[in-house]
Amino acid sequence: MEKLSFQEIDNTVAATLEPPGRFYWGVVGLLFCGVLVGAFCWGWQIMVGIGAGGQNSPVNWGTYLINFVFWVGIAHSGTLISAILYLLRAQWRNPIARAAETMTVFAVCTAGLFPFIHLGRVWMVYYMLPVPNQRTLWPNFQSPLMFDVVAISTYLIVSVLFWYTGMLPDLAIIRDRATGVRKKVFSVLSLGWTGRYEHWRHYTRGYLLFAALATPLVISVHSVVSWDFALGVIPGWHTTIFAPYFVAGAIHSGLAMVLTLMIPMRKIFRAERIITMHVLESVAKTIVFTGLIVGFAYGTEYFIAWYSQNTVEMEVFSFRSTGGFALSYWIMVVCNSLVPLLFFFKRIRTHIFWLFGISIVVNIGMWFERFVIIISSVSHDFLPNAWGQYAPTAIEYGIMLGSFSLFFFLYFLFVKHLPAISMTEMKELQHQETAHE
Amino acid sequence: MNSGYTQLTALFADDSRAAKAILTLRDTGWSVADVHGPIPSEAISKALGVKKSMVGWFTLLGGVMGFFLGYFLAVFTATRWDLMVSGKPVLSYVPFFIVGFEFTILFAVFGNVLGLILLARLPAYQDLPHRVTRCASDRFGVVVDCDVSKQQELQAILTQLGAEVPEESATGGES
Repeated sequence: MEKLSFQEIDNTVAATLEPPGRFYWGVVGLLFCGVLVGAFCWGWQIMVGIGAGGQNSPVNWGTYLINFVFWVGIAHSGTLISAILYLLRAQWRNPIARAAETMTVFAVCTAGLFPFIHLGRVWMVYYMLPVPNQRTLWPNFQSPLMFDVVAISTYLIVSVLFWYTGMLPDLAIIRDRATGVRKKVFSVLSLGWTGRYEHWRHYTRGYLLFAALATPLVISVHSVVSWDFALGVIPGWHTTIFAPYFVAGAIHSGLAMVLTLMIPMRKIFRAERIITMHVLESVAKTIVFTGLIVGFAYGTEYFIAWYSQNTVEMEVFSFRSTGGFALSYWIMVVCNSLVPLLFFFKRIRTHIFWLFGISIVVNIGMWFERFVIIISSVSHDFLPNAWGQYAPTAIEYGIMLGSFSLFFFLYFLFVKHLPAISMTEMKELQHQETAHE
Repeated sequence: MNSGYTQLTALFADDSRAAKAILTLRDTGWSVADVHGPIPSEAISKALGVKKSMVGWFTLLGGVMGFFLGYFLAVFTATRWDLMVSGKPVLSYVPFFIVGFEFTILFAVFGNVLGLILLARLPAYQDLPHRVTRCASDRFGVVVDCDVSKQQELQAILTQLGAEVPEESATGGES
């Protein structure tokens, strides 16, 4: 990595917080319109009822659950980069750790909206909280849906605290450079951090423990999400491979989203000296690894269906690749397992165009993976007379547009108002490299 | 500190020099009041002889409390559904471990944050009089107590140790 002075790191990151131009506000405005479209569609659904969406017997779980799982998955690589790779001392994570953590926080927020949206009668949301309902009955924690509430809420709280704690030293740097109201705001946000060694002593210990706690949490959260399906008896869902399969898929999609976000960001903020090609290449290599795991899981599902000689299971998997949703299935296989293999070629994984393009392809593929898992199983289960089709309605598309807009809207606001690259971790990286020279 | 005392902040470009200065100053009888820096440094921590933080105990306590809280929440709510379905027991102890596990992590993190806040004494909005803002950015600052009459002597020692001594840091520190 190119040698940067501490001052250069601060200047590069501080430059990202300069007052934005019209183009930025234009994009933010456009994304906000997308959020309004989603809010309108949700409002419409609340007014007319859950039937405004296309979910109906036998496909009672449609795009709302697909998007929920998709966004939870996106959230996962943030913790992989910020916590797991921190414990493994993978230095290439440092320049992108903050952006990935932020992605986690906003993706979990976006995911968290979907259970509310899917409820229909959203005012009944307190049924999911550990409080008694009007019949004095408490929620029953034998249901995987209740595990999910606990896991996702924990993940959101832990991610936010981890993200904020990691940002404290950087907020202090911005405070010291700011003036007027901005200085006051950052003074409050930085909690009076001064970089005293008494602060660092507790901070480094606390941060290490944060990483140690976030690591098992991230694995448990997507395992719990997978058990929403695996603990049901629906063919195609009722399988023990789901937890590792979902975790690998989540990291696969999250890493792709990291590339999707980082590549434009380094260009716009001229941060090529910080988010180097080596960093992007390392993400691409990890995508090859997760892509191979995901591909192996796809194959294993078919093998087990055949090996079990269970008629229903075999029929569901035959339907997946040749039935009414076959196109979705093949999009999933090609985008998630085959296209990422192109990263085996150094020329491709070190070329911005291919890195960005393939990251988008994997994102699309991972959305379709959730579509295939959810829709193809419930639309084609045990009783042939109950088989059915599913297509999302305009309301569902509107809500989906709203969710994507909300995620990018929050992310755009973040990168211009808070330090999107961790100055402290970049300095630590430079310091370690100097020490090793 | 008496009214005849002041503090000087010596700035160092790298932590190894700062650590060496801390050791030299201590050996020659000067009192190092505080050290600031843009990144954590093992060399400085060793020179200061700081002990391992106690944050972990807060984390552990939070985690243990969280496990029992989560597990018993699941047990308690299950007893509110006192109806046996399909011959399955009302209290299914195994799945309750999932709730216990999530609460363990959640409360361990709460303990971690609480420990960090309490031990580091944050928030601390009153700025330190001897703090040099560059110490948050690119310099390691060693704050040294000294008698006003020995200020020039200390300044000379610090310069010899490779430090920059900013003018503004020579003020304040009286109490």
